Amino acid sequence: MDRNQIAKWFKEPSKMANKYSLHAIYFCTGCGIIEVPPVITARWDAERFGVIPVATPRQANLFLITGYVSVKTLKAIIRTYEQMYEPKYAVAFGSCPINGGMYWDSYNTIKHLDKYIPIDGWIAGCMPRPEAIFVAVTHLWTLIDKGMANGYERYKKYYRAYRRNQELALGKLEWPPLYPIGEHTEGGECD
Amino acid sequence: MIEQLKRELEATFKGVSVTSEADRRITVVVDPLQTIALLRFFKDRGFSHLALLSAVDLIDKHAFELVYILTSYAEDTGEDAVPGELILVVKSMIPRDKPTFKSVINIYPNAEPYEREIHELFGIHFDGHRRLTPLFLERQYPIPPFRKDFDTRRYVEDVFGSIPAIGDEEG
Repeated sequence: MDRNQIAKWFKEPSKMANKYSLHAIYFCTGCGIIEVPPVITARWDAERFGVIPVATPRQANLFLITGYVSVKTLKAIIRTYEQMYEPKYAVAFGSCPINGGMYWDSYNTIKHLDKYIPIDGWIAGCMPRPEAIFVAVTHLWTLIDKGMANGYERYKKYYRAYRRNQELALGKLEWPPLYPIGEHTEGGECD
Repeated sequence: MIEQLKRELEATFKGVSVTSEADRRITVVVDPLQTIALLRFFKDRGFSHLALLSAVDLIDKHAFELVYILTSYAEDTGEDAVPGELILVVKSMIPRDKPTFKSVINIYPNAEPYEREIHELFGIHFDGHRRLTPLFLERQYPIPPFRKDFDTRRYVEDVFGSIPAIGDEEG
């Protein structure tokens, strides 16, 4: 452990614990999942960075969306994201979740994923190398340190707008709202 | 083998054109009225497997082309054996303004999902298919999205482009 961080550990232990034990759920939407097995296995060994794959969204706090997002998978992505515990961080991997990528004029592919769920980090490239995941993870540490990886707080704050966008893309949603839509929560506070 | 099949086809069906672009691959173009009879003919000859049923939107010719690809699992063992290792491509054109064709489920039962898919993506109706319900698509589209006159770029601008970004002014 880095000695410079001891003060941080005493100051905000929960944040530091979250930071160094990211439990990742990989959403295998597209070709990006090809990069994930070498990342989590011996070749690149994501556990060096405290990233470990878990089985279900209820055990995860890092959501890695690897590849393009079709309208049908968007539904599953929203449900997965809403099932995760807070604090949760979503990282979009590859250029497709950013702006559609090579599917920019496809009739059935979601173009900007951050209109539907909050994204804390983007990894650009088509496809990014496995090392890019580690760059993203270390960058995510910085963001968590500075309190900038606050996608779950934004989700709560702007939930009405997110839900509206989700309904614009998917029609009527089959599940009830995660947060009450009627009232407006102020300033990103969460309990 | 190919020559024999060609002679037999031309004797049985009218206006059928048989070509072979590659070894082992035969393309048969036939008018839609005879397609069902032709598929039955091939099934009786041992082509028991429908490998693919697909459609092509030939918008310049105002037609949809249905493509049936047939193969056989039987081995090509002798001169009079069933034609294993042969790939048969049966094509027939149906008019674009009246996109209706007969279902081939009673000849090849595995055509069921293919026909549903084509019905959903090209809007071609198959008579005799009992379950032409949506298969893949989640959204409603103005016209079936695989047709050539479906303007994907404008659709993307209208639908996905109109969804607003989440900004700080909203809440």
